[in-house]
Amino acid sequence: MPGVTLPDADLPSADEPLDDSDFGLLDEIRDMFAAADPMPAELPERIRFFLAVRDLEIEVARLTAEQDELVAARGTEQSRTITFDSETLTIMIRIDGNRDGTVRVDGWLAPAQRREIELKCAADPMSVTSDEQGRFVFSRVPCGSAQLIVRPSGRDGAGRSVVTPALII
Amino acid sequence: MDNRPVMTGRVQQDRLDRGARIARLLGAARQGSEDALGQIVTELSPLLWQVARAAGLSAGDAEDVLQTVWLRLVAHLDGIHDSAALTGWLVTTTRREAWRVRATGRRQIPADHETLDELPAAGPGSEEQVIVDDERRLLWAAIGRLSARCQELLRIIAFAPRPDYTAVAAALGMPVGSIGPTRGRCLAKLRALLADETGGAWRDAS
Repeated sequence: MPGVTLPDADLPSADEPLDDSDFGLLDEIRDMFAAADPMPAELPERIRFFLAVRDLEIEVARLTAEQDELVAARGTEQSRTITFDSETLTIMIRIDGNRDGTVRVDGWLAPAQRREIELKCAADPMSVTSDEQGRFVFSRVPCGSAQLIVRPSGRDGAGRSVVTPALII
Repeated sequence: MDNRPVMTGRVQQDRLDRGARIARLLGAARQGSEDALGQIVTELSPLLWQVARAAGLSAGDAEDVLQTVWLRLVAHLDGIHDSAALTGWLVTTTRREAWRVRATGRRQIPADHETLDELPAAGPGSEEQVIVDDERRLLWAAIGRLSARCQELLRIIAFAPRPDYTAVAAALGMPVGSIGPTRGRCLAKLRALLADETGGAWRDAS
């Protein structure tokens, strides 16, 4: 009935307690935003994973650049390059697919240094050590959620670990 | 698309149970239970996602912010004693962190409602589904006519566990009542807009 003006007394007041219509509206608003701007479904899992590997002596690296490129020599193969920055370290990795469905992760640390680097993923964690140029490689990584942890540089584990956010590889 | 929520005693009870469940999980997390903490993450991350996105962050920045906030919570768990305090702390910290990231000027996007995708189109549905979709379009349009502050508040409150509405609204700087949760200015305005557009018929049938 367009044009009908309701008396003000019938309009809901801001000071009344929430009623079932309010709750119904809020539920609909939630459903609409959940549909229009959904949280990535795997995000809570990534955060839980991240919390599970936390320790007090860590530095969190932020993802600062990511790009996909076609590897020219091989035509259709995709290669991803991802850069993480933390206070003391830049970690750059390149991810290439292997024929068996696993991936190869080539990495560089800057400034270049020898560090123990762990890759945590769905399977058992893997560990390698970077060379003097800061290079490291994990040659066969099963796909899934993975996270890099660069162990402290000091003797006796002094210093801080640098942890990247989990990423899907 | 989900069935339209029907407000029954059962649904209400589930909502209250959700608050009690989070309170129990919080107790266990403070005792050091990694699993309880993980369940809280699963329970409340959708709320924090909306907080970060309503603050205008890109999806990537929102993910980073959530990770930072949850990590920071671990250091603050000892000072948080109930579900409302937990939800309030998480919302406040997420919002503050989101602003900080935005201030760095990286990958900013406008925060506003219009930049979101259109509501997902209704599939071929029953007559009932068509009515629901019409109501949703009305509701979506009405929300778009609210102030930016009200849009943000309702978007966030809608994802909060019900017993914590008051704490969440307070965290957003808009208390909805000092004693119990009252409707508040934003919901009252939304209902007035809807009543206006439907000649007072909005939802009377439900």
